[in-house]
Amino acid sequence: MQRFWKLLCSLKLAIYLGCAATAVTMVGSLVLLYHPEIFGSMDRMALMQWYEAEGSRDPLLSCWVVATGILILLFALNTLCCFIDWLRRFKARWRKTGEYLIHLGFVLLVAGYTWGAFSGSRSEQNALAEGETMAVPGMPGHFLRLDKFSPTFAPTGRPLDMVADLTLLEGDAPVTSATARTNQPLMYEGLVVIPMSFGQSASGFTGFLNDAGQVRMVPGASFETRGGRLEILEFHPNLVRRPGGVLVPSGRELINPAFRLALESQGGRLEFWYVLREGLPRELSLKGIRLRPMQPIGSYHSLLTINRDPGAGPALAGGVSMTLGVFFALGSFYYKRSRGDRPEVV
Amino acid sequence: MTLDSALLYGSFSLYLGCVFLYLGHALTKKPLLHKSALGLVIAAFALQTLCLGLRWNTAGYLPVTNLFSTLFFFSWSMAATYVYFELRYRIAATGLFVMLLNLVLLSIAMPRDPSFPPLYPALDTPLFTFHIAFSFLGYAFFSMAFSMGVLYLFQRLRPTALLPDLPTLRKLNEEAVFLGFCLFSLCMIFGSYWAYVAWGYYFSWNIKGIWSFLVWLFYGGMCHAKFVKRWQGTGYALLSLVGFGVVLFTYLGIGLLMSSNHPLD
Repeated sequence: MQRFWKLLCSLKLAIYLGCAATAVTMVGSLVLLYHPEIFGSMDRMALMQWYEAEGSRDPLLSCWVVATGILILLFALNTLCCFIDWLRRFKARWRKTGEYLIHLGFVLLVAGYTWGAFSGSRSEQNALAEGETMAVPGMPGHFLRLDKFSPTFAPTGRPLDMVADLTLLEGDAPVTSATARTNQPLMYEGLVVIPMSFGQSASGFTGFLNDAGQVRMVPGASFETRGGRLEILEFHPNLVRRPGGVLVPSGRELINPAFRLALESQGGRLEFWYVLREGLPRELSLKGIRLRPMQPIGSYHSLLTINRDPGAGPALAGGVSMTLGVFFALGSFYYKRSRGDRPEVV
Repeated sequence: MTLDSALLYGSFSLYLGCVFLYLGHALTKKPLLHKSALGLVIAAFALQTLCLGLRWNTAGYLPVTNLFSTLFFFSWSMAATYVYFELRYRIAATGLFVMLLNLVLLSIAMPRDPSFPPLYPALDTPLFTFHIAFSFLGYAFFSMAFSMGVLYLFQRLRPTALLPDLPTLRKLNEEAVFLGFCLFSLCMIFGSYWAYVAWGYYFSWNIKGIWSFLVWLFYGGMCHAKFVKRWQGTGYALLSLVGFGVVLFTYLGIGLLMSSNHPLD
């Protein structure tokens, strides 16, 4: 048992494992470079999700990822054993605190990454416009609401930044909110939400109404007309007609725009669709209402990266441990050098 | 000619002058030449620092976003590292090799475009500044370790009184590797945290990310190898040479020849 523990803590084992991991990763990095069809999506998914979706398609080409993973895990295990061994002899070797904090930091980083690789999730290009809410990928029961969004531009028109006021909800209850922008994400228990980009989509139309002149046809707007009070309930840039005549909104591209309208008159309330390509609805023309959309009104929507990594906390702790370790090690190094100490020989 | 170009050419000339003085010292062994060379190095470093400060002030951010500015910053870091070793240990003739290396860096940088490209919004953060500064300071110490490795092998094969003795060169090599590893660790930590807040993950499966990890792993291994008898001295000097090859590939090879998330031009 004692011999096995010695082996686990041995410096030579660390060097062999480190060399093997280095050699495998060097070769693997070249495979990665020349096979983007397999490895190009590695950053877009958690490692295990990537392996299931892409890596397993070609086990031979992606075997280096598995080998690197195993070698790094063994290397981390060896590092952990060294750290535990040092802790057992702390009284005699406390001056090595810096070096061993670096060891601990490395172990925590590997543990955090492994945890995230197995149970994390990544999602890109999640489009969200002001006031909209979406389910958080990988976090059942949680929703994300974009309260406000505004991109900022340089005088040349170059995008400089984007500011997104976000609220994270658990069910209907707000859990946290943040003003997210470049390099300042919303973070909550391993969840990180980053406004990566933005797009422009139509949020309505400017139009002409025979009783009111030029109007803004956006959800929430209402107009008094000869046929009653006309209200705009919804706007969809692309409405798809499914078999059976059911209308379903699909995407933000301006392809088949449509309004959901309500007309309230003495005869009661009537709700109906106005699909622009199909012309003025009968419900309006019968009442003598002429509503003609003229030009789309553009609005920005945020494109969010939503990643969840439960190992981010331990990894951050590893980074802190490593940073402290570096400073302790530097202090200890100069102290030892001033005393003329030399490294021991094994 | 703008002030920063004048400062750049001034520092280049002074570095060139100090190489000649070091060469003169190697040939004549006159202490005055060594002192003058050190004086010139410090003057050149001061001009280069002024130039860096001026460019930083003009750009509004640490200018390290293209090949010219990274080579310039690498050269500045190398000079700073050399001044540190020279003032601490008076390594005399080793300066000839290190300053030659520095001149090569500056010579590659000078014909290139020194203008400031527009800064990507994600780069506009102190995390980027720390990441880059620690990265190049780490590279500079690894270059110093390479220089010490070369001189160790030279001293071993053709002993000369001009160079420090073998134990001193070994000690300097180990110190350079250790300090470089510490600084490069900080570079990796700041870079990882920055990547996490900017892109949502702290390790990228990109060739640059992988090779930066390899640089860290390699020099981490070297920090341990000095405790193994068979790797001390010549073995360690050879490892320093290999390590510098890995550094050059990570910095220039990947940045210039391959598609990565750290492009240089």
